[in-house]
Amino acid sequence: MHRRTRLSLRSSSINDKENEHEQAQLTASPRKRRSKVTDSGVKDAELPEEDGARSPKKVARKAGRPRVLPPAEEDVEELEDAAHGTGASDLVGKLPEREKEYDELVGFVEGVLSSDGSGSLYISGPPGTGKTATLQRILNHPSFAKKLKPVYINCTSIKSVGSIYKKISEELGLKVGGTTEKQYQGAIEAHLERKHKTIMLVLDEIDQLSSSKQTILYSIFEWPARPTARLILIGIANALDLTDRLLARLQARCELKPQLIQFLPYTKQQIVAILKASLEESNSLSRFPEAALGLLAAKVASTSGDIRRALFIARRLVESAKKEDRKTGSSGAPTVVSMGQVMAVLKQVYGASQTLGNDLEEGFPLQQKILICSLMLMLKHGKNKDITVGKLYDVYKAICTKRNIQAVDQTEFISLCTLVETRGIVRLQGKKEPRMHRVCLQWDEQEVTSALNDKQLIASILSDVSCLGK
Amino acid sequence: HASQVGTPKRNIQLSNIIEECSNGRRVSRLLELSPKQLEPLPIEEPKTPKRNSRLSSVGATLPSSASKGTPKSANKMKLIRDGTIKPNIHSRDAPVQDGANELAVARERLHVSATPSSLPCREKEYEEIYNFLEGKIFDGCGGCMYISGVPGTGKTATTTAVLRALKHLSEEEDIPKFEFVDINGMRLTEPRQAYVHIYRQLTGKTLAWEQAYNLLNKRFTTKAPRRITTVLLVDELDILCNKRQDVVYNLLNWPTMPTAQLIVVTIANTMDLPERLLMGKISSRLGLTRLTFQPYNFRQLQEIVMARLVGMSAFNSDAVQLVARKVAAVSGDARRALDICRRATELADDQARKSNESVTVSMIHVQQALTEMITSAKVKTIRSCSRLEQLFLQAVTAEVTRTGIEECNFLGVYSQFESLAAFSGIIVPNPGRAMAICARLAASRLLICECGKSDIYQKILLNISTDDVHFALQASKLL
Repeated sequence: MHRRTRLSLRSSSINDKENEHEQAQLTASPRKRRSKVTDSGVKDAELPEEDGARSPKKVARKAGRPRVLPPAEEDVEELEDAAHGTGASDLVGKLPEREKEYDELVGFVEGVLSSDGSGSLYISGPPGTGKTATLQRILNHPSFAKKLKPVYINCTSIKSVGSIYKKISEELGLKVGGTTEKQYQGAIEAHLERKHKTIMLVLDEIDQLSSSKQTILYSIFEWPARPTARLILIGIANALDLTDRLLARLQARCELKPQLIQFLPYTKQQIVAILKASLEESNSLSRFPEAALGLLAAKVASTSGDIRRALFIARRLVESAKKEDRKTGSSGAPTVVSMGQVMAVLKQVYGASQTLGNDLEEGFPLQQKILICSLMLMLKHGKNKDITVGKLYDVYKAICTKRNIQAVDQTEFISLCTLVETRGIVRLQGKKEPRMHRVCLQWDEQEVTSALNDKQLIASILSDVSCLGK
Repeated sequence: HASQVGTPKRNIQLSNIIEECSNGRRVSRLLELSPKQLEPLPIEEPKTPKRNSRLSSVGATLPSSASKGTPKSANKMKLIRDGTIKPNIHSRDAPVQDGANELAVARERLHVSATPSSLPCREKEYEEIYNFLEGKIFDGCGGCMYISGVPGTGKTATTTAVLRALKHLSEEEDIPKFEFVDINGMRLTEPRQAYVHIYRQLTGKTLAWEQAYNLLNKRFTTKAPRRITTVLLVDELDILCNKRQDVVYNLLNWPTMPTAQLIVVTIANTMDLPERLLMGKISSRLGLTRLTFQPYNFRQLQEIVMARLVGMSAFNSDAVQLVARKVAAVSGDARRALDICRRATELADDQARKSNESVTVSMIHVQQALTEMITSAKVKTIRSCSRLEQLFLQAVTAEVTRTGIEECNFLGVYSQFESLAAFSGIIVPNPGRAMAICARLAASRLLICECGKSDIYQKILLNISTDDVHFALQASKLL
């Protein structure tokens, strides 16, 4: 039954990995863990390199270690077939389309190891570009496993910025005299001065460590420059210029400056390749025509290049195709995802305000419509574009009286404004007095018109300049 | 009570347990020991020797624990934390007798808390959530869903109804078993307490958040072949977002792990919360399964109210329609419609009692309830102000019209005040008095005064529209 587990997206596996690793370190004693790493690493090497984050799972299962990584499959039945019928041999151990970065990283680590010194590295890239997954591959690399002591910490898991030292010393298995931050830091620094195996310290989501004076980030990035230290420090975050912005003083000394590696968003071809590999694995590639894949990849690549999104949409489409299968009875050829379906899902996912219009047809309360129309009127014809809730209320009331509609009270009006705000149409900014909040329209007029779906009302209010007063 | 004096810190950590015992002050009295958990107590007794001496007397005073030979009350907190004793509330000796009149029954049924067995007008959303959860539970994998919508549109009710149905199915073994945990952002004193609550619902034990986090992380990241799916419902997601957003990150990161088998359903009001508030890496993990609950229109509101009153003739259907139309025009909030209907039944009940004959709720009652609810208290307040206060308000409006700026200072208002007073033949109070008047008006929030500085340069803002002032004072002689 638990094999079903592996249904989750591949994107998920990327993250899993980090946490599992972390977990493994929490649970297992360092020595044990190391042996496990070696074990899996060797297996990894034997595999033909094809598909990254996924492979270690089965490898892991074979090796019987707790840290496991599932493949990202999309189809239940087919997945189960695959799971039952195959061993680790058809599993592959590489991340498609991240070979260059991987080689660069391996080169960096090898360089540091051969020079017997230290080095620091900063990896940046938008979410969902495979940073952590690639790093996990490095951590599990067979030839490094013997020479390195890997320490992986996800910085979101720590209590406060200062407790990172405690976490690191726990991971290193150090004995610490006291419980203060200073003592933990001292212990780590003492450890770095003694003779030790090269440590590979990976700090994921390193932007969580920034504080007002950045003392902690500075002191961590300063460790590799210690004469006796043998430390490979790798920081991962989304911001491109984090080291320049937060750690400007590192620029002054070249030996302290971390090397930068960027993970660019996936391009269309890359997404197609990854989706193909992932669908291939679950034998559901036949469900996806080439053109549909291309369309999906083009859309995702043009907006974010986030592989999690692409896999999510693909999964959703395969699921709906499967549902179709179940409905019609399982005989015959599997349902193929049509272009229309792809378009529909993409539209739903990316066209927020357009779809909103369809939903809203009847669901938009009249008073809220009038509120938005009065705001538009003020923006279009009013002199002052700095609109507060109080001013808006006056205009709204004038419009209501003119139309013979009972206007709501001011307190009610303020809550109306917040209701409209939850739709993202306007935004209230500001001071503590609700009457003095500034109202900003977040959508342009066309979007609002299509969302309200009541041209007559809008036109009549927008032409009603006399309601503005004065 | 000695046990509280002794352990104030623990009380804070366990805020929630104590909250559940209605008033928190008499916790120890409200706790009762379930009989089967009595065995482990003697073992735990020696673990807290320090407090034993101090608190043993308290234990003796507790009737429930003393009679059963239960532990000293120093252990009480420990027992609560272990989940061996459960908080409960004193029950009434006899249930409250309700007048079995039809209006009272209608009132009961119209109460917001009386969730009906099936939710009218939310079939599509129900279907969507059901399909999502059922699919995920069948596949045994994790996932996230984000549900949004304005308050009172049935988000939580629909979601819990789906989960109830699924739970029922899983008990009949039609679908795999699953565990259900729910947290509400508003019920947490701090975002990180979410870990504590989740862990307590899974195991019954209360731990510090750090420990709870570590154990949860262990649970969700290690593989366990016999693990069953966990469904986590997070209500009021936006409250869990602190600056670092680590709690939201972790809650949404766990489902992405295949070992976790965790399905997270998040509920919030704001439609574009993931884009507006959450960091990119978190909204990337939240995924794209989203569902928006639209506000009810008047037909739906009518159907909701009528569904609750089915088989009763206490309500005039036109009256319901009026309520539905009024509420749908403003917010589409079902709670509000139900509240107004309840109020209308109360008014009808009053009338019935007075006239001693049966009354159905009609348009008149609804109209009355509506004016009570959607009434403008401000006009009334202005009308009941003293003469000088009214004059002062008028002076403020005059100053606003003169300068054209909403913000005016006391000096300008006072000169207007002086001339207005002279005009209507009142002796002008000195500035000190006028300031007192101004302060009184500010306290009732008719005016907004800049606090801290109460000299003649203080800024004064009108908190009501000028029309309201004119309208309210039209009747009086001042205009």
